[in-house]
Order: sequence, then structure tokens, then C-alpha cells
Amino acid sequence: MSGASIVDLKIGAELRSAPRPMTRERMRRYVDAQPTVAIDDGRIHTQPPTIHDDDAYAKKQGLPGIIADGMVSTNWIQGLLFDVFGRALARKGRLRTKYIAPIYEDQIVICVAKVTAKARNEAGETAYQFDVWCEDNTGKKLTVGEALVYAPAA
Amino acid sequence: MAIGGYVCDLEVGDRIGPVEYTMSAFVVREYSHANELHHDFLQGIDDPLAPPTLIHLDKLRLYRHGCPKGTGPSARIHYEYDATVHGEVRVGDKLRVSGAVTERYERRGREYVVMEMELRRASDDALLIVYRDTSILAYAQKSEKK
Repeated sequence: MSGASIVDLKIGAELRSAPRPMTRERMRRYVDAQPTVAIDDGRIHTQPPTIHDDDAYAKKQGLPGIIADGMVSTNWIQGLLFDVFGRALARKGRLRTKYIAPIYEDQIVICVAKVTAKARNEAGETAYQFDVWCEDNTGKKLTVGEALVYAPAA
Repeated sequence: MAIGGYVCDLEVGDRIGPVEYTMSAFVVREYSHANELHHDFLQGIDDPLAPPTLIHLDKLRLYRHGCPKGTGPSARIHYEYDATVHGEVRVGDKLRVSGAVTERYERRGREYVVMEMELRRASDDALLIVYRDTSILAYAQKSEKK
């Protein structure tokens, strides 16, 4: 997907992702990314059992089973904003997310960003304020937060 | 001061870093792939950017640096991510990250730790990302622990 830079959204407009099941594979990919990034030797690395990829370990920690790392939902929200604003989001802005409910294996996740304010600044950018969240297929919110994104001048 | 021990022993005022490293294309590609960020400016061009969310793994980088004994007896749970981006992080940039524990508190039987971090470009000290991370030190509430 390329970096769109001309965006015109109205206050109240909603961006919504397609529903995605939080599969075991999706959880494990984030687990593996951590040592892979840390070691940075061009190979994929794994780590000892975590609450995100090992049911027995998760249960020992008081959970009913594995749960997704919160950063997966944060990254999916970021991806939804990247889809619309492209690389502008990696240059300036803010993203805040809070994990208010665990995301369990195969739970459906839908990311939403709703425009709550917009204003043009001196640089000609349009600053968009969003409420962002992830919900499941019943509408239950799992992750909540806000984002500030600057759309460059056309 | 709890530097040099376990993550769970970190105290308010503890400072970790700075730690320097260079952002690699491999790291950007693998992290982006793991998070289904298939955007060309991350994976499809010769001069890619790092997704700002990679700052979260810098927290783990600081933990490894400052808390070599590891996490402690319980798995941490990430509670809040809050990153303000001031500039692009490019592949090839030499970076400097540092952090400080600014809060530690208990709520409903769980302990929360807040770490505030800065990521700067090493060559000119430009501020790139300010990050505030809140984690719960253990999922089980204190009253549930045996």
C-alpha cells in the first residue's frame, strides 16, 4: 500500500479495518519478532515460553490461556492509519493505546479510528485527532486510545 | 536503585541507558511483517522508515541492558503505549535510547510501572520519539498469589 498524502476526512468519519481473528500464529509472530529484532543477525529467533504462545505458562500466570501481546493491536491500529496517511504518521504525531481487555486466541479484532477534531496549522498540514479502538465482533472494546496525525498539504 | 537486578525490582528514579544501536532493514522488515504492516515505505523501498511502534522493543532493549537478571518471577503485562513522534527513524540511522522509571504504583492488587523513554538520532541528537510505557508486573492480583 502506498503512502497517501492528500486526505480529507470529516469530523465523525470512521476508518474501519476488516475483521481479523487473533490466531495463535499471529500471536507467535510477535513473540518471535522480539528476539529476532534484539539479535538482528538476519535470522529468526525464538524465546522461552511466554503468555502469548504457551498455554501452560499462561495458566501458571493466572490466565485462562494465551493472550495477544497488546502491541499487536496497537500495530494494527497504526496500520489502519498508515493505510490512509502513509509515511506522514512515521514523521510526526502521536498514538496512545490502552489494553482494557485481554485478546484471546481466535477472538475477532476490528480496528476503528474516528475523527474527533481537525485543524489546519501554519505549515498547511491538517491535524486530525482520532479516537481509536479495537473491538471484537460483538462490539466489545478491547483496546482504546487516541491518535494525532498530520496530513501534509496537498 | 535497582539497576543490575530484575525488571520487577525497578524503582522510581532508576535510569537506564543510553544505549546506542543502528536501525537495520532486517529489523524493520521483520517487525513490520510480524505486525502485517505491508506498506511500501516500510518494506518495499531501498530507504525504508521504521514504524514508530518499534520504540516498544527499545524498552526491552533497555531492560536487557539495565536488568540483566531478567523479568523476575512473573510475566509482565503491557497496559499502555503512548508514543509521540517528532521525526522519522530511517534505516541506517545510529540511534541512542534512554529511559527512566517515573512511576510505580498499586491498583486493585496489581503493581504498575511507568517507564519514560527518549529515542534520539546519535549523529545530531535530534529527538525522534518520546515514549511512555505502562506495564503491570504480574497478571495475578496479590491476593490471588500463593
